[in-house]
Amino acid sequence: MNDRQVLIRDLLLLLAFAGWALALPHYGSEFVVSMALTCLMYVALSSSWGLFCGSTRYLSLATSAFFGIGAYTSAIALEKMAWLESIALGAGIAAVVAVVMGAAVLHLRGTYFAVLTFGMTELIRHAVTYFEKKVTGTVGRVLTVVPDRDTIYLTVLGLAVLAVFVSIVLRRSRFGLALMGIGADEQRAQTLGVNTRLIKVAGFAMTAAFAGAVGAAMAVRWTYIDPHTVFNPFIGFQTVLIALIGGAMTLWGPLIAAIVFSVLAETLRLQAPQVYMMSLGLLLILSVLYLPGGLASLRWATFSGWWQGSRGWLRSLGSEERKNG
Amino acid sequence: MAAESGDGQAQPGQARLEIKKGFPRSAFGSSPSRGRHQRPGKAVSAVSLVQTLMTLFSWFELIASGLITGGIYALVALGLNLQYGLMRILNIAHGEFLMLGAYLTWMAHAVWGISPLLMVPVSFLVLMALGVLIHKLCFRRLTATSPNLDIFEARGLMVAFGLMFLVQNFASFMWGGDLRGYDYLTEPVKIGEAQFAGNKLLVFGLALLFSGALIALLRFTLLGKGVRALMQSPTGAQLVGIDTQRLHPLMFGIGLGLSGMAGCLLSMAYTITPSMGEPYTVTALIVITLGGFGSMSGALAGGLLLGVIEALGMHFTNPSLKALLSYSVFIAVLLLRPRGLFAK
Amino acid sequence: MAEPLLQARDITVRFGGLTAVDAVSADFHAGELVGIIGSNGAGKTTFFNAISGVIAPTSGRLLVTGRDLAGQGPHRYAGAGIARTFQTPRVFPDMAVAANIDFGLKFAGRKRKGSWHLRDEGSILELIGLQAQAALPAGAITPSQQRLLEVGMALATRPRMLLLDEVAAGLTEAEIENMAQLIRRMRDELDLTVVWIEHAVTTLLRHVERVIVLHQGRKIADGTPAEVVRNAEVIEAYLGDEMTESVA
Repeated sequence: MNDRQVLIRDLLLLLAFAGWALALPHYGSEFVVSMALTCLMYVALSSSWGLFCGSTRYLSLATSAFFGIGAYTSAIALEKMAWLESIALGAGIAAVVAVVMGAAVLHLRGTYFAVLTFGMTELIRHAVTYFEKKVTGTVGRVLTVVPDRDTIYLTVLGLAVLAVFVSIVLRRSRFGLALMGIGADEQRAQTLGVNTRLIKVAGFAMTAAFAGAVGAAMAVRWTYIDPHTVFNPFIGFQTVLIALIGGAMTLWGPLIAAIVFSVLAETLRLQAPQVYMMSLGLLLILSVLYLPGGLASLRWATFSGWWQGSRGWLRSLGSEERKNG
Repeated sequence: MAAESGDGQAQPGQARLEIKKGFPRSAFGSSPSRGRHQRPGKAVSAVSLVQTLMTLFSWFELIASGLITGGIYALVALGLNLQYGLMRILNIAHGEFLMLGAYLTWMAHAVWGISPLLMVPVSFLVLMALGVLIHKLCFRRLTATSPNLDIFEARGLMVAFGLMFLVQNFASFMWGGDLRGYDYLTEPVKIGEAQFAGNKLLVFGLALLFSGALIALLRFTLLGKGVRALMQSPTGAQLVGIDTQRLHPLMFGIGLGLSGMAGCLLSMAYTITPSMGEPYTVTALIVITLGGFGSMSGALAGGLLLGVIEALGMHFTNPSLKALLSYSVFIAVLLLRPRGLFAK
Repeated sequence: MAEPLLQARDITVRFGGLTAVDAVSADFHAGELVGIIGSNGAGKTTFFNAISGVIAPTSGRLLVTGRDLAGQGPHRYAGAGIARTFQTPRVFPDMAVAANIDFGLKFAGRKRKGSWHLRDEGSILELIGLQAQAALPAGAITPSQQRLLEVGMALATRPRMLLLDEVAAGLTEAEIENMAQLIRRMRDELDLTVVWIEHAVTTLLRHVERVIVLHQGRKIADGTPAEVVRNAEVIEAYLGDEMTESVA
């Protein structure tokens, strides 16, 4: 398949996905729609995360910070602004914060960056908590202006589709190539003319904008938000996990994983939420060890490779026993 | 006879030390039975002398309590440092193993009546064995399959991430989310006018002891020299015959063992929950950043320093700012002095 | 003589207590074929890193057609027409050979004018002789082919000046001749200034017109190969007789 055919295929798949998601509220139960909403949220979050962090290998743990910023923005802004404007504002403010954070932090190597973004996320969370305690006196905010369920669903769906669409487009652009170059060999890319600093900040701001928009949209679902819920680091962790297990560098990986995990989460959540989390952790470990490209890189060859590998392992165990016996 | 003029005026620092809530019980201030002459000068000078001594002890208590927490921080950080400095594995699940050590000790104590003191070496050994196993199962493969160091570090981080999820939720699953704890050596011990809980003193003492032992081990034994050689130059060390294959799992295990031991010590004095580990991971990260990645004595100094900074910060500002303070210090150091506070 | 392409003025690079490059000044004019030699630790690669923006010099000025670029990032240098290769070939291993070349064309090479030979990735592949490997992943070709690819990637930025860092290291006699021919072609047909660091002194001296000698961070000679080998200081610092023999 040449490049143009791949593009058409991707766009068609996206269209099909969008259509199916659009139709869902009309025949699905309340429970299914709620599950779909969470799924779409994570499609948006992990696809945008994967686009920047997957290619450049700068693992950002700051998603929760931007999500929370978006949530608080819409909580405050909805009283004065229209729905879409609040979302846009949430995205915008998150992007600005990302530019500031990124300018300070993006010159550091991968692991330092990951740890730092986590530290900054927690810093923001504690700062907001402290600010609320001292200045406003109340913890959290109540959302008074709440749009109906369909609006929320459509917005999050739109964000998810947009995230995948942007992924499709950017991967083919110079920006996407620059991101890949940064991930492969940053200094080399610089000597070939890539302004890595600018590209990194831009990419980081893009993930922040999506996270902020999603946060702004999802805040209204809870009607009452506080730092503990919207700045919950687990949101960022789950985004990262889903993107990594699905295959952060691929287009469809995060989407596939988001669907799989949403289903898994809902089925396990009521009986044993810890089992769900444990399986997340275990799957991540297995995926990093045996499938670094993620679910999306699964091919028939992979399975036969595993089969060979496990047979070899069994054989080596047997020969060890013979040696010791 | 007459007191110096400024003496009766309490200095701003003093006054705050006295009036701040939660400050130790030193009872200076008005004591009705002072029953002295009404000559303000003499009374003031005597009182202020006592006040100064009291204040000194209060400072001592404050700093000492900071050092106690710092001792634990140092112990946990040393383990993390060993893993990162030697193997470039940033084990962000480190705190979870601390939590396991705490639960293990609690179970031993509550269910079988074993003394926590006995559990100190036991928890070390159990967690060390677990560490060796984990290294062999998870990280060994990464070493073989990662094309370069950056990718290895990133993958190691992700595996540790997964471990964090796995272990924390396993504990939650096994033991439930209720707070647990037990009492052990809670009678207070007095040093001068300052009081400390007996168990916290024990924790501090043991933490310092084991930290010192590790540092001594690394500095003076052949094994330790091998480890330090590996840290400085992996290829060079292998060329002179140091066995990386056996050393890495062992050192990873020791790091985890230290964490478990810290958990055992902590369980004597603090409550136990499945999520207790995470803050310690973060703190350990902050400590090794302060002390410089890979530096053992830096981790020790950094841990104690952070404990004191936190104690002072909590006291003079606001306890809820503790987290804010720690993270700010962390970010500031990473950005301004990424090689650690003590780097040349 | 026309204004020099690159003027290095008193470039000093210090790492902590170590002075790797000590007040080195040199001018590079259009169309020159210059070699830089020096024993290990003389500061050759550090100097290269300084004049390509990979390291910011501790002090000194770097004038590229009049503008001082000292301290700016490598992408600015690439944009100003200074391209470089690395000692160990740093190709993008998962991308195809052709894509590796295309990378430079898409970034620094976009706004720059280049000769006919650098018009697209096909022509560059032809120039370096890797057309047959175009579709292979760069990680799968041989090390000496990767060397050529390195050069191709640098050429894709349509530079005016090309810095080659020990391109002959580890190559066979025949491959070195090949490389030297390529370098001459680049200078002659593509109108490039080529600056070439080489550890193998004899090879270099045969092909370049001007030699700069660095020793312990300082420049101790700058002239034609014939002049340089007779320079007393160079002989003392270096190998002496071996050099004279090869040029005479």
